[in-house]
Amino acid sequence: MTDPADGPVLLEHLFRHQAGRMTARLTRLLGPAHVDLAEESVQEAMLRALQTWPYQGMPDNAAGWLFRVAHHSAIDVIRRTRTFGAKTDAIVDDLTRSAKVAPADPYLDEQLRDDELRMILMCCHPEIPRDASVALSLKTIGGFSVREIARAFLSEESTIAQRIVRAKRQIRDRRLTLELPGASDLERRLDSVLDVVYLMFNEGYAAHEGEELIRRDLCLEALRLGLLIAASSMAAPRVHALVALMALQAARLEARVDEAGELVLLDHQDRRRWDDELLAIGFHHFDRAIAGPVVTEYHVQAAIAATHARGATPHSVDWPLILQLYDQLLAINASPIVALNRAVAVSRVHGAAQALPLLEPLAADPKLRHYHLLLAVRGHLLQELGRPADAADCFRAALDCACSEPERRFLRRKIAGCV
Amino acid sequence: MAKYMLLLYNSPVSGQPVSPEEMQKSLEKYMAWTKKPFTIDSKRLANDAGRVIRPSAGGPRTTDGPYSETKELLGGYYTIEAESYEDAVALTLDHPHLEYGGTIEVRHVYGS
Repeated sequence: MTDPADGPVLLEHLFRHQAGRMTARLTRLLGPAHVDLAEESVQEAMLRALQTWPYQGMPDNAAGWLFRVAHHSAIDVIRRTRTFGAKTDAIVDDLTRSAKVAPADPYLDEQLRDDELRMILMCCHPEIPRDASVALSLKTIGGFSVREIARAFLSEESTIAQRIVRAKRQIRDRRLTLELPGASDLERRLDSVLDVVYLMFNEGYAAHEGEELIRRDLCLEALRLGLLIAASSMAAPRVHALVALMALQAARLEARVDEAGELVLLDHQDRRRWDDELLAIGFHHFDRAIAGPVVTEYHVQAAIAATHARGATPHSVDWPLILQLYDQLLAINASPIVALNRAVAVSRVHGAAQALPLLEPLAADPKLRHYHLLLAVRGHLLQELGRPADAADCFRAALDCACSEPERRFLRRKIAGCV
Repeated sequence: MAKYMLLLYNSPVSGQPVSPEEMQKSLEKYMAWTKKPFTIDSKRLANDAGRVIRPSAGGPRTTDGPYSETKELLGGYYTIEAESYEDAVALTLDHPHLEYGGTIEVRHVYGS
């Protein structure tokens, strides 16, 4: 047995999660134009913990300690710089009161959730470009650093930093507030939030590049934000649909890579490695999603993920249902990527010979011409049709496109299998 | 067993912002080291370099700390027990402070 004293002393991701909550709280007190000061104060509190705790020991309530020190750090800066001019005393009073809230206060948790919700709504305001919203949300609410976001997105740090600056400028210039939207504006604001959360999730989920661990954290952060909205007064069937979609897909994250770090396709995944807890969350929200009359893209995508998740073995997946759902999805969103996925479903239901011609118009699409997955699917279908030489050509062409290292190794294995 | 003082000097401020996750990870490492059985005391010194008192012709004079921004600042100390000076050094080699760019001075405490 291992001694519990040998294990970590703090809850996993405590700092990251507290960073988001504290930034939201301080931004609410200081005003959206001072989100930088909020972030710096939080950073300062954590730095002080790092400098003090190793010598003095851990405080009884680590989160409460950080909360208090972050508030006082903000107060110090405000007093020193007089940024708030005549309003200094009032702001200092607010901060002092907020810092005194007992950590055991049952309302505190609720208040902090409310702060976070307002922060999400502001960061995802329709006036802010989507990519900037994603970066800003991850930084301020998610507690990710610019470097971590850049690593997850395989972008330059400067690109991410610029997006955040752009988003903050929009907040200042357009005088965006932390007010909750009124009924007339709610739909548009909620759509924008869901868009950003979905984008955040997909950045983490879709690419097989970047660092696996941090991308997983990104997916889980998007899911956390989704759950936060689903638990709020803003909950709507499409919110539950998005949560279901994210949870059901996130449940498969671990199983997508084997122990050697190699890509594992859905068909070959070890279903015992799917995360039961996430599946349960997914199905729970899926049930709540279908309570409403409206069917959104999130609903259909969630239904597809649920159909995959319901199959106990790869052979018991209900492909005819998945094909139906792709038909539905294509009607809502006629994107070539959806069409490609639909072609895969066609091959599972009606065979490769029926699916192959469906790829022809896609290959003509300029956006997909150099898309490795289109070529990989084509190669796979040709292989099934007993044309290994043509299949190998496709896999080789896919290798010429942009794709990740695990994908490259996968394609090379496919080429080797064609001879 | 004799006592040894480990004087931990902070690395000059790198200016590189560190993420909450990274800070937590490094904190965990420090806390784990602190819990080792041979550490008997630890104290943290204030961030402010403080002032220095020096003799001068007209009597003692206080001046601001001798440290410019680029110099290392004594951040705190540990007292540990070890068989010998070499042992004390060996026990200190895996201190996370070194991983994060800080330096550690190991001094024997006489009479212990």
